Amino acid sequence: MNSASFVLAVPSKGRLQENAAAFFARAGLDIVQGRGSRDYRGTLKGLDGVEIAFLSASDIVAQLAAGSVHMGVTGEDLIRETIGDADSKVALLTPLGFGFANVIVAVPRAWIDVRTMADLEDVAAAFRAKRGERMRVATKYVNLTRRFFAERHVTDYRIVESLGATEGAPAAGQAELIVDITTTGATLLANALKILDDGTILSSQANLVASLNADWSAAAREQARVILSRIAAEEEARTTREVSSVLTKFGGELLGAAKTLFAARLRWHGADGRLTLNCPNDKVAPLADWLIAQGAEYVTVAAQDYVFSAANPLYEKLAARLP
Amino acid sequence: MADRSLSFVDDRPLQEAVAAYLIAAGYQRCEPSILQPASIFFDSGEDIRSQLYLTSDVSGAEYCLRPEYTIPVCRHYLASPEAGVSAGFSYCGPVFRYRSGRPSEFVQAGIESFGRTDREAADAEILTLALEAVAQAGQAHNLAVRIADAGLFTRLLEALDLTPQWRRRILRGHGQGKPLEAILGASLKGTGADHSGVLAVLEGADKQGARALVEDLLSIAGIAAVGGRTPAEIADRFLEQAAFKTGAGFPKEKQAIIEKFLAIEGDPDRASAQLRKLAAEARLDLSATLDSFDARLGFMAARGHDVASLSFATRFTRNLDYYTGFVFEAHDRQRPDEKPIVGGGRYDRLLRSLGAGEDIPAVGAAIWVETLHEWRTGDRA
Repeated sequence: MNSASFVLAVPSKGRLQENAAAFFARAGLDIVQGRGSRDYRGTLKGLDGVEIAFLSASDIVAQLAAGSVHMGVTGEDLIRETIGDADSKVALLTPLGFGFANVIVAVPRAWIDVRTMADLEDVAAAFRAKRGERMRVATKYVNLTRRFFAERHVTDYRIVESLGATEGAPAAGQAELIVDITTTGATLLANALKILDDGTILSSQANLVASLNADWSAAAREQARVILSRIAAEEEARTTREVSSVLTKFGGELLGAAKTLFAARLRWHGADGRLTLNCPNDKVAPLADWLIAQGAEYVTVAAQDYVFSAANPLYEKLAARLP
Repeated sequence: MADRSLSFVDDRPLQEAVAAYLIAAGYQRCEPSILQPASIFFDSGEDIRSQLYLTSDVSGAEYCLRPEYTIPVCRHYLASPEAGVSAGFSYCGPVFRYRSGRPSEFVQAGIESFGRTDREAADAEILTLALEAVAQAGQAHNLAVRIADAGLFTRLLEALDLTPQWRRRILRGHGQGKPLEAILGASLKGTGADHSGVLAVLEGADKQGARALVEDLLSIAGIAAVGGRTPAEIADRFLEQAAFKTGAGFPKEKQAIIEKFLAIEGDPDRASAQLRKLAAEARLDLSATLDSFDARLGFMAARGHDVASLSFATRFTRNLDYYTGFVFEAHDRQRPDEKPIVGGGRYDRLLRSLGAGEDIPAVGAAIWVETLHEWRTGDRA
């Protein structure tokens, strides 16, 4: 490791890498890969002292838990599966809107009598009583499975670890049912499997995750603050619009109504009546209609690239968790 | 709590005293090796499996640090020349299990008695010995002892002439601490509305025909026994749901009997009389099990127990999957909700599952020396 005081881990390959790079680029944080695409260390353009570590998804989780990287991009499923007592070792700062996948319990479609975990508990017990063996569950999510099954009183089963093509295990006679990750459900369908009605263990997506065990020096905290403020500024810009108009009278009562009805925030109201508000994307049109009804002649709406603010909710979330 | 891995709690004198007492009572010392083949514990369920400390050697064979004594001691007995005949073993040493917030290495002592056909006398002996071994460590008068008999509930459900599925569901649900109402309501309700039309039609049909139809439908779909269950099993349970949904649920009068049964508790002798009365009123034959229950109380009294001081409850269970008859637990009277200091019971089916070829009577008790030591010294976590 070099002189970098802050290490950010990002996925080293596949769609997760592209999405992560695009996510940081949107926030004005361009990831620069050192000496060609095979190098596993990089930097952030324009930010000194930050090192990018390109790692496999499972290494990112392991290094977050160990504290050898400060922050990383990885799926919540891996965090919950791999790290015991995850909430004491890492902080999930924000979901990133990509890498969606559900960890689910799926059984053969032919089991027309099984729709819920309660059914599964009943059938698993009958299976064992009849055969003297436990039902086999193929999965790579050993810990998530044990926790979920135990909470639902399913005990008559045995885990068969499966590190690939899990959905094929029932047809191959290696297991009776599976716990696996799915995005569209198409693979399950192709393998004649169905998800139990209450069989979603976790709705996962890629998260920006901070390690609580890393060396959070003053310099590292400052790097985190800068990175998170840019991410927050981009997120705020992406999810809100700036709404401008002229209304001479826009006092406490109207502002209060704008807040409660449209989640609007006041940016500026000049003596000449010029008014600038900020509101969530989906509230833009109703807010404009409402302003016109209050006497405005026109309302303009603009998208922004970044909305920086004195408050930095992402960093505050992190700072609150650090010792 | 301080980091216990750093502090050395010297409870060896206590361990030695307990071990010596059990050996003197005629239970030969059996100390299976700490490193055990991991697979022998896999059938104990994922719960135990998740607590194992696993390792493997260069050949790929999987081992674990022993998480408990009973299975290794059973295997020792089955491999010995005494297999099948009466024999008693005692042990005292470290076991290893992952326990969140507590040390993973802790000391367990205990006794196992195999092959005795005078079951009630053996039950009473195990309870007495375990309590005495603790008593000589002091403060025995502060122990609250709970007893129950898993055989009573099993026998009641048999006598009520319930289907095996219902017997298992009720036993399991009860073991999970669910009220009877919830057990009877939940198991078959499901949430699916999509098959209800078919189910309603099938309800009128004769059972054989309906079953054949469902089996045919499954085979037309080209799905043969996928996932290890047969079409017949799936069809049977599907039709059972049909019957349940159309109102042919669990008979009310049987539910009432079970509820009365589960309400009985207190002084064991009085409870036994209440159980006989309930059986007579409901015209159920529980006499063999109750005779055995009374005989056991007699042996306990003969060993000097004040039977009335033992608290009995039909409701009380310990791992119904494992124990088949008498069960007991002893707690610190001041801390009845904490983990027990002594616990045990009869497990007549385990030896067969470990390869005995037939059921062999077995009863045992475990003493948690760590808890006992804390109790004696007043050291609390």
